[in-house]
Amino acid sequence: MTVNSHAFKNKQRLPPCRAACPASVNVQGYIALLQQGKFKEAVELIRKSMPFPAICGRVCFSPCQDACSRKNIDQPVGIRYLKRLAADIEREQGRIKPDPIPKTHSEKVAIVGAGPAGLSAAYELAKLGYPVTVFERMHEPGGMMRYGIPEYRLQKYVVANEIAYIQDLGVEIKTGVEFGKDIQIDTLRNEGYKAIFIANGAQLSRKLRIPGEDLEGVFPAVEFLRHASLGKIVDVGEKVAVIGGGNSAVDAARTSLRLGAKEVTILYRRSRKEMPALPHEIEAAEEEGIRLYFLVAPTQIIGEGGRIKVIECLRMKLGEPDESGRRRPVPIQRTEHTYEVDTVIPAIGQRAETSCLPSILLDERARAISVDPLTLETSIPGVFAGGDIVTGTASIIKAIGAGKRAAVSIDRYLNGKDLRTGREEEIEETTWVKDWEMITKKPERYTAPNIDTGRQRVSFEEADELLVKIKELAMSEARRCLECGPCSGCLESEGLCEADKAMVDETLCTGCNVCAVVCPSGAIEKNKVGVAQVDEDLCKGCGTCSASCPERAITMRRFTNAQIVTQVLSALGGGPA
Amino acid sequence: MMYRPKIIGFICNWSLPTEVDITSTSRMHGYPKIRIVQVMCVGRIDPAIVLETFAKGADGVLVIGCHPPDCHYIDGNLQAERKIKMLKKLISLTGLEPERLRLDWAYASEIERFAKIIDDFRNQVTALGPSPLTGEKPDTDILLNINAARAAAEDFRLRVLVGRERELTEKENVYGEKISQEEFDSLLHEIAEAEFIRHKIHLLTKEKPMSVKEIAAITNMKPALVLRHIVNMRRKGMITLDHVERTTPLYKALEVH
Repeated sequence: MTVNSHAFKNKQRLPPCRAACPASVNVQGYIALLQQGKFKEAVELIRKSMPFPAICGRVCFSPCQDACSRKNIDQPVGIRYLKRLAADIEREQGRIKPDPIPKTHSEKVAIVGAGPAGLSAAYELAKLGYPVTVFERMHEPGGMMRYGIPEYRLQKYVVANEIAYIQDLGVEIKTGVEFGKDIQIDTLRNEGYKAIFIANGAQLSRKLRIPGEDLEGVFPAVEFLRHASLGKIVDVGEKVAVIGGGNSAVDAARTSLRLGAKEVTILYRRSRKEMPALPHEIEAAEEEGIRLYFLVAPTQIIGEGGRIKVIECLRMKLGEPDESGRRRPVPIQRTEHTYEVDTVIPAIGQRAETSCLPSILLDERARAISVDPLTLETSIPGVFAGGDIVTGTASIIKAIGAGKRAAVSIDRYLNGKDLRTGREEEIEETTWVKDWEMITKKPERYTAPNIDTGRQRVSFEEADELLVKIKELAMSEARRCLECGPCSGCLESEGLCEADKAMVDETLCTGCNVCAVVCPSGAIEKNKVGVAQVDEDLCKGCGTCSASCPERAITMRRFTNAQIVTQVLSALGGGPA
Repeated sequence: MMYRPKIIGFICNWSLPTEVDITSTSRMHGYPKIRIVQVMCVGRIDPAIVLETFAKGADGVLVIGCHPPDCHYIDGNLQAERKIKMLKKLISLTGLEPERLRLDWAYASEIERFAKIIDDFRNQVTALGPSPLTGEKPDTDILLNINAARAAAEDFRLRVLVGRERELTEKENVYGEKISQEEFDSLLHEIAEAEFIRHKIHLLTKEKPMSVKEIAAITNMKPALVLRHIVNMRRKGMITLDHVERTTPLYKALEVH
């Protein structure tokens, strides 16, 4: 007996897509529902894991898609596109306003920051019946989803709609309240909040730390994007240089174009391969005429009369990989060269604004809040933190994951339970496919229709037709899923299905192996003595083995042959149809 | 009154359009009516259940699954195709029209195609008229044949053959042999016929002991062929020598597990 055996109790077998998702969204499940055209149900299933299907369907960096097993045959299933479609169709068909969830707990919870982490935590806690208040510094909730991602990628109404859903559940959002100024941990405590979750993100742009950074015309990306999203007029001039290779850099570059810049250049110190921005975003930027210069790093910004004139750069080459696994850029001496610019937008990452936080919460370099990575507890009991404020700039989906984690901790904390027990989750990626050659190839990815309702003016009839076509395409794309994980329980949540499993009567089994041959999920194998064994984790309950077993030794636990016959008889007995 | 066939539709959970309301009594609102039995996958349909459905008085059986190569269970639809192929062969031996059974494909998104399949099949079954197994006086010969076919479909040989079809025709068996589709199909036909006749003999001799001649007369076969089957069945423990009348041996069925 192993001492740690209890630690593996939570070992979950998940398909690669779900295992890769920081919020553990049941990807296989909602894809299965989309195969049947159950768009609304698919969105409901996503909402079980997180409240932002439409937002993530647009801007998630979709680790699920990168992990998809389908890439071993042709290309991954278009998961993000499907999620977006499902969410959009649900919205178009009129989202039903959810009823507020009754408050079954009296302990109030305060959440600082209405970004993806804070709102996700609020959503989960509200579902558990806690009264939750979210405090937001800006005038509108959403955090980086509203103020960081430009409108052309993520429309404001989409963000507003998904936040409205959370508010409909009974979450209170107070905007224009600044943490550290209007509220403090102590004042929140005095107002009766029993637990606090700090998730105010990383709002400050990292400095380039080169001479000339304070000149007029240098506009850090976060502030630049915030201004643009608030609709403030930003004069970028004609020539814009964006420094950095992440999504903020590409966002800033594409936004500059939309603000009237003629020549936009992205300067990145590594090569294209190392760019952290989403590949399709980079492609879109290039299509719009944005130039990308690789292996250059700025050394100084030179101004004239207080306003910038040129930016001086050094050429770089790639050296040994650093701790992030990417090759480190190394400057090549005496390769100084200059570009003429009107605006420089540094987009080399963000950092947390820690001045508003009590120093006891911070890590030794005072750059982030230090927490227990498993429970997100800070050094103050009852105070939790997560999202970018802890990790530095990450992603929406990671922030959602942190919010969910915090919600579990807060629930345990308020109930006086241990925060750690049983939470070291062991996840095992599962794919039933062992022989890729044996898979009857499904078609290549269906090309997504280019729907841009903004530009295309269509009549109502055409829009209707378009919607039907889009739905069909979505269902086709969903059918490309190989269902590599165990039964995802997609229909279970709707009460349409109880997970069915095959059972082998070992006294009847002769070990002929037919079941193992016909099982599409590789769930049946013969044991040492030649008797078929069903791996219940992998069995999806299709029943093909039961219908094929030569000895009739396999029965289904739920939908037995006898039950099918009963259904047939009752259908036949109903008189002439 | 116009003849309205009773059709059982075994429909895969994943290809049933969401618009179809199977909970209502009319089963399919606004579409030609069939009686739907929803299964997780058409691969789930045991051939014996289809034959029982006919025995219990269905005029037609329609099976609808997802279009190959798309199947929620990878190849459950192709498994069904093999089973239906075998079933059609068995049914053709019984005297019932094999056209009363059809397998077709549709996606959940193809509500029109779905309706058309049902419509076409209904017309086909209507043209065939009521099943000889329905009505006041069901055809006892055909019923016996259907029961024999059902017993054959429940027995080891056919099931193993159908279950291994893909392996045998697409991959190699443990001896490194691969057989062509034509070879397989003729083998399947041969075995289906043999299994059918053996189970028919088994059912006949269950009631009372019978001689080879009697059996040959009922089954319309050459006595030598009947004897060959009986020898085979004795070896398998399906039948035994009951007694000898004068010089004629009489055989009686044994209970098979």
